[in-house]
Amino acid sequence: MQPDDILNFLNNESEKKFKSELIDLLMKRIDKLCFEECQIDRIQCTLTPLCSRRFLLKLRIKNKLKLDDLPKFCYSVHKGVVERFFRNKTIVYRPYDAYLYLIDFVDVFFHGDYRKLNKFVSFKNWEEAFKIFDDRIHNRNEKFDYLLTENYLVFKFEDRIHVIFLNELYVLCNANRENIPDLELLQGVCKLYSGINFPEVKLRLRQSKHVEITVKVPFEVLNEISTEPSINNDSKADNYFWNTFWEDLNALTQYCDEIHLQMDKNQNLEIILYLSTKTSNYDGEENPVSLRFRDLRLILNFINRIYHDYFVIYVD
Amino acid sequence: MSEEETNIAEIKSIKDFVKDGRIDDAVNIIALYLGDSTEENYIDRLENILEALLHLHGGRTVLRFLLENLIIDIPSLLENLSKKDSVLRYTFLLLLKTICENECDLFLPYSEDLLKSDDPNVREADLQLILYMAGGDAKIDDRSLVNTIVEKLTDEKDFVVEKAIQTLITIGGKSPTLVTKILSDYAKERSENEELKNSIDTILKSIVTVEKIEEIVEDEKSKLETPSEEISLEVHTHKDLEKEEYKILDKEFELKRKGLEIKKKKLELEEKEKEIEEKVIQTKEEALKLKEEMLIKEAQFGEETVTREKLPKVKLPKKLKKEESEIIDKELELKKKDLEIKKKKLEIEEKEKELEEKEILEREKALKLKEELIEKEKELSQVELELKQKSIEQKEQKIKEEEMKRVEEEMQKIQRKLEEDED
Repeated sequence: MQPDDILNFLNNESEKKFKSELIDLLMKRIDKLCFEECQIDRIQCTLTPLCSRRFLLKLRIKNKLKLDDLPKFCYSVHKGVVERFFRNKTIVYRPYDAYLYLIDFVDVFFHGDYRKLNKFVSFKNWEEAFKIFDDRIHNRNEKFDYLLTENYLVFKFEDRIHVIFLNELYVLCNANRENIPDLELLQGVCKLYSGINFPEVKLRLRQSKHVEITVKVPFEVLNEISTEPSINNDSKADNYFWNTFWEDLNALTQYCDEIHLQMDKNQNLEIILYLSTKTSNYDGEENPVSLRFRDLRLILNFINRIYHDYFVIYVD
Repeated sequence: MSEEETNIAEIKSIKDFVKDGRIDDAVNIIALYLGDSTEENYIDRLENILEALLHLHGGRTVLRFLLENLIIDIPSLLENLSKKDSVLRYTFLLLLKTICENECDLFLPYSEDLLKSDDPNVREADLQLILYMAGGDAKIDDRSLVNTIVEKLTDEKDFVVEKAIQTLITIGGKSPTLVTKILSDYAKERSENEELKNSIDTILKSIVTVEKIEEIVEDEKSKLETPSEEISLEVHTHKDLEKEEYKILDKEFELKRKGLEIKKKKLELEEKEKEIEEKVIQTKEEALKLKEEMLIKEAQFGEETVTREKLPKVKLPKKLKKEESEIIDKELELKKKDLEIKKKKLEIEEKEKELEEKEILEREKALKLKEELIEKEKELSQVELELKQKSIEQKEQKIKEEEMKRVEEEMQKIQRKLEEDED
């Protein structure tokens, strides 16, 4: 029997009882694995957990189970790994896409104020919460940025993104391969990056379907690019626009819904990217693949490059 | 310079030394770095060192030097690690694995004491180190240590129990007899503990394979056979002795049996005597009761006649007193007799014991004499054999000489004939 056979059975079987029995078996197996087999040997649970990067914790947390329903030692190690990764200490694996409860997240990242922050964020007392964040940024030399949307509070510590899900009160730490669930969060992350790295790039929500990002290459820069490719040209712009630019655009086409290149009235090149939560790639069943945080990072890196290498220089 | 800056600088220099292969210098710097620490920052500094060593190629060598020179001692290391998060604790334990496997002398002296630590994390870490040691070249057959590990099967913390199970399975791989014996003894002591039984079952199932069963059985056999090993060796070499020794052994068994029978009979006699004594006491008690009843009746009768007759009133108590004194005297006499009987019995027992001892000594002497006789007989038989061989050799020589003579005579005869023919 193959895994697909079970998936097909769950999708196609008409008898609910059979399905529920099968799922019951699976659930029992998961519980046995977590509570009896893995965590009973704490060294094994810490160094070589029996599920890959503790994804079964994610399964429990995302389905709103409380701490009492979790294998506690496993969760404590999970939290420890997130903390050690944050403090650049030795870790067994990189805790990308790690889910923590809100109180544990604030305990790891804002240790001294974690009780207050847990309360303020839980009750959406943003004034008090932001006071603490700003105090840490301005007076305690802590380097992070944050952005609030209606349902999310997004943090950026160096290159790592953490997202608090305000209704669920859990946090996605070191977001990487997780899908971006909605346009609100997509726009939020883009705004956060934009505010830090490319403030003059236009960003807007278009028809509640896309996030539109417009970055410009000034006419003056374009004017300096030679009309034909030449091997001996030392110009950085020449090299990039003749050799790499199209490759970059080509790579981005799989993540963006649309890419428009056009000249504005001042003969600047406008590169307009339309992003949604779905990419242009399709899975085996011809469903569009969701946009992940790491895909978005590629797009934002592209914009960052164009902005810093060709826009800011010109403006300066 | 702030604490953080000194930490960074020190760790950097340690890393540089290790990268350059200057292990001794790195060890010295670590010793100074830890030596300068206060109570508050010792653990942080230790963590910094461990963090640095975890990443470095050659970090394990430095660690071995640190342990050998007692710059970091195992008990305080495990206790300090217990205060840190599990990731660091277990990652560091993993770093110690190879050292444990190859140089268990560094850790083994501390193992038993650390198992008795109040901190479950220390107990668990210690068990892990023992597990690594048992998995290496060393064979752990220290009965006391294995006993202490077995006691951890009833630890209050499940994770310590689990680690103890794993450790015993690993130790049992090389020392199945010892582990099996200690486990079975411990299970007997705590036969009511079901969880313990399950744990022991798990361990035994992992240890005992078909090959291991043979090994265990052979060990048991060899233990049983060791006292008579010398005799059996002789048995193989001297067939004559074999039979006699068997006879002697049989006689010894018979004597033992008889001794046991005598003891049984003695016990039976003692029991019978006790029964007789109890019966005597009962009859005495009954007699006393009867007398008391008689006295009471007489007293009642006396009260009725008190107004008419005064003499019997005075006489009755005197009679009673006399009877009582007589009974007491008799009881004392009986007790004396009992004591005398007991003394005699003891004397008889002592004599019997002396006799038995004498018998045993005589038997031993007889055995020795027999052994000496057997040896002498052997010597004699050898001498006889030698004599026979010599006589045979002499006969052979005689025969040879005679034949030689005969051959010479015949040769001479032939020569003579030939000469005569020529003539």
